[in-house]
Amino acid sequence: MPDLVTITIDDVEYQVPNGMLLTDAAKLADIDIPVFCSHPKLDPLGACRMCLVEQDVRGRWMIVTACTIRVAEGLKFRYASEAAVQAREDTLEFILINHPLDCPICDKGGECPLQDQTLKHGPGASEFQEIKTHKEKRYPISDLIMLDQERCIVCWRCIRYLEEWEDKPQLGLFNRGGETVIDFFPEQPVDAKTSGNIIDLCPVGALTNRVSRFRYRPWELKRTKSICTHCSQGCNVRLDARIHQLRRVVASENMAVNDEWICDKGRFMHAFVDAPERLTTPMIRDHKGGELREAGWDEALALTAQRLAFTADVQGPAAVGAIGSAKLSNEAAYLLQKLMRGLVGSNNVDHRGGAAVLADPRGLSNMRDVEQADVIVLAGVDPAEEQPVLATFIRRAVRRRGAKLVILHPRKIEDTRYPGAYASYTPGEETALFDSLSKALLKEKVVQERAAKLPGYAELADWLHSAAVGDPAAADAARLVLNAKRPLVLYGPAVVSGRNAAANRSSLMNFALLAGCAERTYYLAPEANSVGVRDMGLLPASLPGHALVGDLPARERLERLWGAKLPSDAGLACDEMLSAAAAGKLRALYLVGSDPASQGPAGMAALQKVDFLVVQDLFLTESAKLADVVLPAVSWAETDGSFTNLERRVQRAPKALANPHSQAAADWLIFTELAKVWPAVSGEAKTEASRKSKRKIGDAPRLWSYANAQAVLDEISRAVSMYDKLTWAALGDEGKQWPWELPKAEAGRPAGGALPTAPRRLVIPERRSASQVGADFPYTLATGRVLFDGGTLLRQTEVAGKVAAPVAVGINPADAAREKLAEGQMATVSSASGQLTLAIHLDEAVRPGTLWIPYSLPGAPVETLLTSASDGAGVRVRIASQKAG
Amino acid sequence: MSGLGDVLQGAAQIAGAMGVTLKQLTKKPVTVEYPEEPIAVFPRYRGRHMLRKYDSGMERCIGCCLCEAACPTGAIFVDAAENDPANPHSPGERYAKTYEVNLLRCVFCGDCEEACPVEAIVLTQAIPMPEQNRRSFILTKEQLLEAPDSNIAIRPEA
Repeated sequence: MPDLVTITIDDVEYQVPNGMLLTDAAKLADIDIPVFCSHPKLDPLGACRMCLVEQDVRGRWMIVTACTIRVAEGLKFRYASEAAVQAREDTLEFILINHPLDCPICDKGGECPLQDQTLKHGPGASEFQEIKTHKEKRYPISDLIMLDQERCIVCWRCIRYLEEWEDKPQLGLFNRGGETVIDFFPEQPVDAKTSGNIIDLCPVGALTNRVSRFRYRPWELKRTKSICTHCSQGCNVRLDARIHQLRRVVASENMAVNDEWICDKGRFMHAFVDAPERLTTPMIRDHKGGELREAGWDEALALTAQRLAFTADVQGPAAVGAIGSAKLSNEAAYLLQKLMRGLVGSNNVDHRGGAAVLADPRGLSNMRDVEQADVIVLAGVDPAEEQPVLATFIRRAVRRRGAKLVILHPRKIEDTRYPGAYASYTPGEETALFDSLSKALLKEKVVQERAAKLPGYAELADWLHSAAVGDPAAADAARLVLNAKRPLVLYGPAVVSGRNAAANRSSLMNFALLAGCAERTYYLAPEANSVGVRDMGLLPASLPGHALVGDLPARERLERLWGAKLPSDAGLACDEMLSAAAAGKLRALYLVGSDPASQGPAGMAALQKVDFLVVQDLFLTESAKLADVVLPAVSWAETDGSFTNLERRVQRAPKALANPHSQAAADWLIFTELAKVWPAVSGEAKTEASRKSKRKIGDAPRLWSYANAQAVLDEISRAVSMYDKLTWAALGDEGKQWPWELPKAEAGRPAGGALPTAPRRLVIPERRSASQVGADFPYTLATGRVLFDGGTLLRQTEVAGKVAAPVAVGINPADAAREKLAEGQMATVSSASGQLTLAIHLDEAVRPGTLWIPYSLPGAPVETLLTSASDGAGVRVRIASQKAG
Repeated sequence: MSGLGDVLQGAAQIAGAMGVTLKQLTKKPVTVEYPEEPIAVFPRYRGRHMLRKYDSGMERCIGCCLCEAACPTGAIFVDAAENDPANPHSPGERYAKTYEVNLLRCVFCGDCEEACPVEAIVLTQAIPMPEQNRRSFILTKEQLLEAPDSNIAIRPEA
């Protein structure tokens, strides 16, 4: 309980917390002091003068700004006095002198604080009859945001947001007096990754959203509180729909997740929901080599069920596989693996970045930990590109609390501009750096004493002593982490995937254990539901709830729940399925939101080999073009679904709109309907097919009737131990982290059990030998996610092309000079698996000896160069200028 | 009352009523053979809608949707878009990409006229014509931009 002080407003005494801003304190007393420049998330400034009140200063009443005064014992104010009311009225009249009255065409009209306050506090008429000043009315400050300088009331909110949260002072005030305008600096348009938040902050219609511009009036929108599914942060948003179209996305406050910020990808890149290219009807290809034709749901589902069951019966369940996606909701992921395990009888179910990544199911402990840390280690992760809102929290910790960043990344990422330490490594050689850090720590006496008790200490110390590692940058970094009071280690999927994933992880955990922060070492999942689909068991070797498929009690429990016999052998991972397909062993493949064909010729070839390919997606992707059956799915905005973010928070994404002209259906519904037609065709398949079929006729799938997505979540709460009691109603608007601490009243037994603990043992990392090293391929490929890539979902937004990452290969200027390559020149990058043609981009941030190509560049899938997607790190490549002709 | 009295009283009433009928036979009929013949309406009669243009030929409507908000029956649908600065439909940055009035819903109250900040939507004195199907009662923006062709005569306002 903060200490209370007594203040007087209009002769009434109030008890308010000491040090609170007067505007906030007055709110507690139900006095709504009008403000423009003041904002709870921004530092007080007192620029707009809208909040004027009278204060008793040594017996004289003086006009002061309420938004900058912190309350203290005995302060006296007048809000409703004649002088205060007059002052506010005059301020408003003054603000309106040059404000154009174009409310009818202003996007803010209807939800505009200036409109509302003019009606409430303004004078009835203006005494100003002169001509208003004219400024730029259609002035883009970036490809995403339009500025109307005439409407601006110079409150500085946009300037302050970019400074205080983004730490990118890209907007400033120019000129003086009535001529004052907001502008960017010459030739430097705003490019902060969360710049769209200044649109929400603007108290007038000066900053408007160029994607949604003129496409809505606030009063005619159907508003749905939901979450963003572009990354794993799970930012809360509001989806504003009109005539069955997603017209606008704005941020929604959730202090536990995103404060009230969202990134520009979430705000602007939503055109895919309404894209005319969306699939609207099921399609069937009658024979290989034929054309896809439109079909009804009954026909498409019957054919799919029949062919999948047929393949499982004749070729064995292992000949059927399914690849999902980490963008699927929990409901969709759960039902997909239930379909594969329960009906097909195969554990061949995975998603890209699934089994190939040694992810830690604990995820981040809590988003707030980031803001409270004093040293943050970022290992192989670039939050500014991957989780931009998390990146603003990190910057906040740096700027407000003096936190230091220790960045371990193959590229000199943007946040290396902050104090701390930076050490780079060659992808695939992560252990060399992590072991160097451990070695540096072992030199410290305090570490030797503390860590000696850890199991495996002596062996590791001996091994490190003789190991030929010693990165010069490691000593500083190690000391920073060691001396930190609240260190936080965040690592991304790049570090725990690839050939040496296990070694990398033990090497990193050794460092964390020696530094004493293993309990504060967290995995940052990449995609919207990377954590959730793992919890749901969309993995070849794990059942829902992370039990292994060989775990008999866990399997029996699910068998009882599902009424089906479950296979006990681990299935094939995503890449293994594609290789098996290419080898002719996997005969039927079900792709849900996954598009291997667009990831290079190897994926394309694998899909061409399968007998029966079903693709369930939003668009006619490259894979869908090869499919025998295409099932149209709907996006996250068009159905109920729950998603689990990077800190294990399960959040709801309710249905916000639906296209009445489309037959597309939600994933959970498609799976349910598929299961319903399953038993009938199972019998047919038998008679048609062969006597080899082991399936009994009438092997009816039980418990496959779900009234809605929420019923699926109900079953999940029973099937997945960590999701115990996490039903749709229990999640509420803010979501719940698993394991959920039940409210005291119902705390009979803990829901979801305890969180898995961090490893407590030091392990000597065992690296597998690197392959493909040789003079033929002198460079190592570095790849990773960028915010604005050329992915299927982004391409649909017109403006995405302007902000997207250039289709180029990043090369260190020193390397480029040696290879005689110049900026913009076209070059061929080749590995043992394939080659890509890209423009050269000279980039100091790229580590010498490596080439940087981000994922999902349009027309240039970096996967072409990878031997398999699981082997993302450490692929050797060469580069040569493209020969003419 | 005697029976004879009733009969006489009835005959008198019939004669009176027939008198009215016979008197009307000599007069000109009030029925107007609209639309062949013009119909007289008062100057402030509220008939079919029209979207006005400026003399320059530019549309007045800026697509602000205030008419839609004011409409008590939800008869108006407006969807706005951004003007191409090189080839604008209306002055300023915004115009109505779609503008529809559903005459089956409209109660001709004139609130849209009142709400319009640029006097674009007006109710003319034209009388909407019957149509063969429901779809035809939805006036499109192209139809609304044309002055309705209607055979009317303005009555002097008494």
